[in-house]
Amino acid sequence: MNLLLRIATILSFLGHYPSYILGYLIETIIVIIFATVVIAGMVYIFRKYMARVQMRIGPNRVGKFGIMQVMADGLKLIQKESIMPKGRDDLAYKLAPILIFFGLIMGFIFIPYGPLAWFGDLTVSHSDVSLIIIFALIAIMPIGEILSGISSNNKYAVIGTLRGIAKDISFEVPMMLSILAIVMAASAKVSNPLDINGVVVAQSIPFAILEPLGFFVFIISMAARASYSPFDMGESDSELVTGNTTEYSGLRFGFFYLGLFGTIFLGSMMISTIYLGGYLGPFTNYMGFIWLLIKTLILVIISLTIWLSMPRVRIDKFINFGWKYLLPIAFVNLVIVGFLVLGGIA
Amino acid sequence: MVEQGNLKNRLIELNMGPQHPSTHGVLRLKLTLDGETVKKVEPIIGYLHRNAEKICELDFYCDALIYFDRMDYVAAMNMEAGYLEAAEKLLGIEPPERVVWIRTIMAELSRIASHLVWAGAYGLDLGMLTPFFYVFEQREKILDLFTEISGSRQETNYMSIGGVYQDFNDKIVYLIREFLDQFPKKLEEVFNLFVKNDIFISRTKGIGILEPDVALQYGVTGPMLRASGVPYDVRKAQPYLAYDRVNFEVPISKRKDNYARVLVRFEEMRQSAKIIKQALDKLPDGPYFNPKAKKSLMVRLRGEGDFYARTESPKGEFGVYLVGDGTVKPYRVHVRSPAFKNLSVLPALAKDVLIADLVAISGTLDLVFGEVDR
Amino acid sequence: MVYEVKEEQSKDGRKVMRIDREHLLDLVKDLKADGYDSLSLISCVDFRDRIEVVYHLFNSKNEDILVVKTETRDSKVPSLTSLYESANWDEREQYDMMGVEFTGHPNLKRILLPEGWVGYPLRKDYDLSKTQYVNMDDEGEDRVSFDPGDGW
Repeated sequence: MNLLLRIATILSFLGHYPSYILGYLIETIIVIIFATVVIAGMVYIFRKYMARVQMRIGPNRVGKFGIMQVMADGLKLIQKESIMPKGRDDLAYKLAPILIFFGLIMGFIFIPYGPLAWFGDLTVSHSDVSLIIIFALIAIMPIGEILSGISSNNKYAVIGTLRGIAKDISFEVPMMLSILAIVMAASAKVSNPLDINGVVVAQSIPFAILEPLGFFVFIISMAARASYSPFDMGESDSELVTGNTTEYSGLRFGFFYLGLFGTIFLGSMMISTIYLGGYLGPFTNYMGFIWLLIKTLILVIISLTIWLSMPRVRIDKFINFGWKYLLPIAFVNLVIVGFLVLGGIA
Repeated sequence: MVEQGNLKNRLIELNMGPQHPSTHGVLRLKLTLDGETVKKVEPIIGYLHRNAEKICELDFYCDALIYFDRMDYVAAMNMEAGYLEAAEKLLGIEPPERVVWIRTIMAELSRIASHLVWAGAYGLDLGMLTPFFYVFEQREKILDLFTEISGSRQETNYMSIGGVYQDFNDKIVYLIREFLDQFPKKLEEVFNLFVKNDIFISRTKGIGILEPDVALQYGVTGPMLRASGVPYDVRKAQPYLAYDRVNFEVPISKRKDNYARVLVRFEEMRQSAKIIKQALDKLPDGPYFNPKAKKSLMVRLRGEGDFYARTESPKGEFGVYLVGDGTVKPYRVHVRSPAFKNLSVLPALAKDVLIADLVAISGTLDLVFGEVDR
Repeated sequence: MVYEVKEEQSKDGRKVMRIDREHLLDLVKDLKADGYDSLSLISCVDFRDRIEVVYHLFNSKNEDILVVKTETRDSKVPSLTSLYESANWDEREQYDMMGVEFTGHPNLKRILLPEGWVGYPLRKDYDLSKTQYVNMDDEGEDRVSFDPGDGW
């Protein structure tokens, strides 16, 4: 039973359709709150961790240990004037940050969060093809980037967007191939391999161990999707100012900022769900959610460490890497998994 | 504005700067781009122009010094030493032995500070934020030393004609030794962060190749020239201060690319630390200013003739051409600013490179705009 | 080419060659062939009735500096851009500051000051009492005026 069904059951006295409509509404609000809190927490962790890595203290003035700093910054972004460029494509310009935020929030809906003590299953919504849906949803975010780049009437933004598209194409194909291998491996064990929950259930041995190559490809892809250093050629603040977000300010910029951190978190969550067994672990019926969080946080910290210690890859080198290395690796992985499934190991 | 509808015109013009994160101040690069490829670079400078040379002409010889502090503001001591090299010759004032050694120490500390700033900024250019803080910690320690001895962090105004503002005491000698004890280890840490990183190597190796004859044609000097394989260092070629009495090596590299410039600058920092150590050991006793240039007499100093002094600033050969006409004010001051020359080679260096490489190349030029624009 | 060179020693030990500006290019060409492969600095000194142009040539083999001096009374000197690339920016700077016109320079315009600046600041007769204000016109080019309300 996921969250939506339970809300709908509680509200069932309203009748079938009203209860589901209201359920969707409440569920959306819960997810938005969850995503915002998670991202705020992540920004705080990021800033503290970054400060520690760089021999600084980090935020420590607002609230105890600077916890409220993120809130203060959020408020600052909200009340800031949104300066808009002259000659922009108005609709696209305003739509872009919303699309980014939308794609991010929707991505959070289909993650199987697993059970937590008496609270039961925390999964928000369920679908038999949630694996496909979730990749379709996070594929909305590049569209927002493209819109923001071509609509803001700025050459830096255009170049940044072109780089972003080139980057996206070069890693998305290997990423989907590695997911295909996951579906193959899962189909040997469960009847619903296109459901992320099915993928999690199939991982009595985590797929990261069965398919290390696919794991590698997927981690690289998720890092590139979140576009932090070394894969931040789209933004590349020292070359293109900030790429496609150059002309954004205020709350609209805040959405892009949320998008960046949210994608890191979402990406880490997807890696831990698809490859590391998600909520599976000892006492999974009581603390599955905790296991998921722990795995995700470890991945987030690893991502941040990579972010802070690597210079930026040049865009042509990344494209080379994507097509010449990632794609063959993904194919090899697919073949290996095929043999594993045939051999009945998986 | 993005030009629309004209597909034949594939070239776009892009103004990088004067306000841009990677132009180290107020450099404006007019780029002609074909997609990501830079077809033409035209540096446009002058946004920080203050005409220090004219101001120097309006002031006494001793007052002109402070405008030199503000030229290369990350290596102020080298600028002061460079100016005094010319001014003292012109005015016929010989600094005492102790002052020569003190100036050597300060100039080398300043060189380390300048190279550290460059290293941090270069990391930022390549998208690496963390090394910046590691090098700035060390630089901050050097600036603390400057504050201790001169009362000021960056624009120190420490040296004066015929002497220095304040003598070295035991405390400052101890502090410098303490700094030197921990510096090499920390430098290696930063060096490893930079040079052992594969991505960093792929961004720098084989990119921005500067042939030695091109470099000489453009008047490029300093680490840029030495990274192209020409072992020209003013400290060896025409020793000034106490450089003929200390033992150090001039690092050169035959690689000629960005990577070589990185290595040369890091090696120079190690050599500078070596020089300071020797200078501290050899620091003689004696007065810390020439009595002929006492404070009350300083404004009456007169000089005649023309003098050119070249010194090795962290950016290259820093020359001061000084003409005196027998009055208390310099008649003409002309500065050979190395960064100005190093910048002029950028259009030749960055031809048909990617934007990312352009940034990587212009980062190795080590530009400080106080000096380029004067 | 036959030309007359006055050689002297300056007080700080540099070798100085004096040449009239008609033969400057020939002399520098010969010096370049002799190994002076870099032009270190071009300075101009305004002596009110004449402007002295001082070239510091650098020899990368023996790391030596040689000074070539010439002078002009009508602010015209042949350009050395055909021999040294670095002369390009140096001559532009001197043109900007001193108003010396280097004949034969491919791109002789101001480098540090905005185009349209009135006067040459390093000349001794430059009027320091007047403030000039810089602004940008619609094409992005710099514009200079004496009106305080128009620019900064």
